[in-house]
Amino acid sequence: MTALELHGVRHAFGRLRALDGFDLRVAGGEVVALVGLNGAGKTTALRVLAGRLRPDAGVARVLGHDPATLPAEAAQSFGQLVGAPLVYRELTVRENLVAAARLHGLSRAQAIESATTAVERFELGRWAGRAAGGLSSGNSQRLGLACASLHRPTALILDEPTSALDPAGVVIVRELVRSLADDGAGVLVSSHHLDEVSRIADRILVAHAGRIVGPLAPGSAELEQQFFAMVLAADSSPRESA
Amino acid sequence: MNLSGADTKFRGGFGAAWGWELLKLRRSLVARLITPLLIGLVPLASIGAVALARSPELPGTAAVKFAPYATGDLAATHLLVAGQLLSVGVLLAGGFAVAWSYGREFSEGTAGAVTGLAAPRWTIGVAKALIIAVWLTASAIISLALTLLLSAAVGGQPGEEAWQNTVTATLAALLVVALVMPFACVATLTRSPLGTIGVLIAVVMLTQILVVLGAGNWFPYAVPSLLAGMGGPDAADALQPWALATTAALAPVAILTVARQWRTLNDI
Repeated sequence: MTALELHGVRHAFGRLRALDGFDLRVAGGEVVALVGLNGAGKTTALRVLAGRLRPDAGVARVLGHDPATLPAEAAQSFGQLVGAPLVYRELTVRENLVAAARLHGLSRAQAIESATTAVERFELGRWAGRAAGGLSSGNSQRLGLACASLHRPTALILDEPTSALDPAGVVIVRELVRSLADDGAGVLVSSHHLDEVSRIADRILVAHAGRIVGPLAPGSAELEQQFFAMVLAADSSPRESA
Repeated sequence: MNLSGADTKFRGGFGAAWGWELLKLRRSLVARLITPLLIGLVPLASIGAVALARSPELPGTAAVKFAPYATGDLAATHLLVAGQLLSVGVLLAGGFAVAWSYGREFSEGTAGAVTGLAAPRWTIGVAKALIIAVWLTASAIISLALTLLLSAAVGGQPGEEAWQNTVTATLAALLVVALVMPFACVATLTRSPLGTIGVLIAVVMLTQILVVLGAGNWFPYAVPSLLAGMGGPDAADALQPWALATTAALAPVAILTVARQWRTLNDI
């Protein structure tokens, strides 16, 4: 089953064309990494998939539905962390987690249990009773990731999930993403870190100038050189899709 | 525990949105500052203003200003002043609270985070408005109850006029709560707490101008103050039922509008 899909998506912010025929597909059970330079269109594409931005043209699908009008049944199986997390500084870490679980459709009892599990998984126990506003940026990111994923979604979007994390946090995210995919979830991760995505992704897609210009093979040698070669080639023939 | 499936008892997410927004309001600096001001300051100021008005040592210019409170039944006058204070205070308090509650979601970027949830975005927008409405109403009622108690403590004996003023003050406060709701639409439209407060200030200024020009009877934002007696008894008596109804109707219209705004938010 296709968890996440963009087909021919185009969008411009004024005169700036951010997406120019963006296509991708993430099947259930696979982790797809999206890499690209700043301004390549990665975050805009993820915002479209998250239902935060209606594109000028093209089709976006989350679990078979338009993300802008995602029905509650599908939303219960969807998670996204694109930009600011679902975290409020005046609430404690545990309150944020329980609230996120409730908003994701869990019952009160399930929410409390999933919050406890998330505190353990993300090693947030020391801060569970503290206000989220007092967390370090790394722990704040852990909390945001926990809030986006504690309901075990079957379609998950993560934008730069390890940008502020220490090595221990990176390992936690890697294990989370793999465990969700092993359970059948389709996970789309954007990142600048080629080495990191190479470890967790089943496929790597290179975005450039608002579209996908080609794949990279995870685990292959000289990923960085391949990446730049692909970007340069796309610049040479911008409408030629790999 | 099975977390992969839907919670069959989960009905539309409004309950989750309500509980979440209530928790956020309870923890907010806005509520912690405003609640004691509404509940505590209004009764104290009402008692103090009447005591001042009836003090023989009040200087001439102030005596003129306080003249409407210098005579008449003590308890009734306390409630009259409380109603007038609430007719302004609830609007300002509610306007600030709405500006914070809605505007922060955009200024902090969390409006995008509440997308794709099982609790639809519109339930969050509506829950915010209803919780602020309930909070303001409860604060106003408690404020009036404390005014009655304080009035009794300083010798006021609530008679028919005092109860009538209590009812009028409650009605005025409820109308102001209704008038707060459109600022939820403003905050969503401007996506800015400060922008919303700017509009609030502009509306207050416009209200003053229209009242001075004698056109307040038909302007919803002037109606509660006039009803509470700020324009004098004649202005209060001149209010037509349609003016009260129009003012009250702004609440459901605003809540329906904000529901639509939050359902269709884009580029967040």
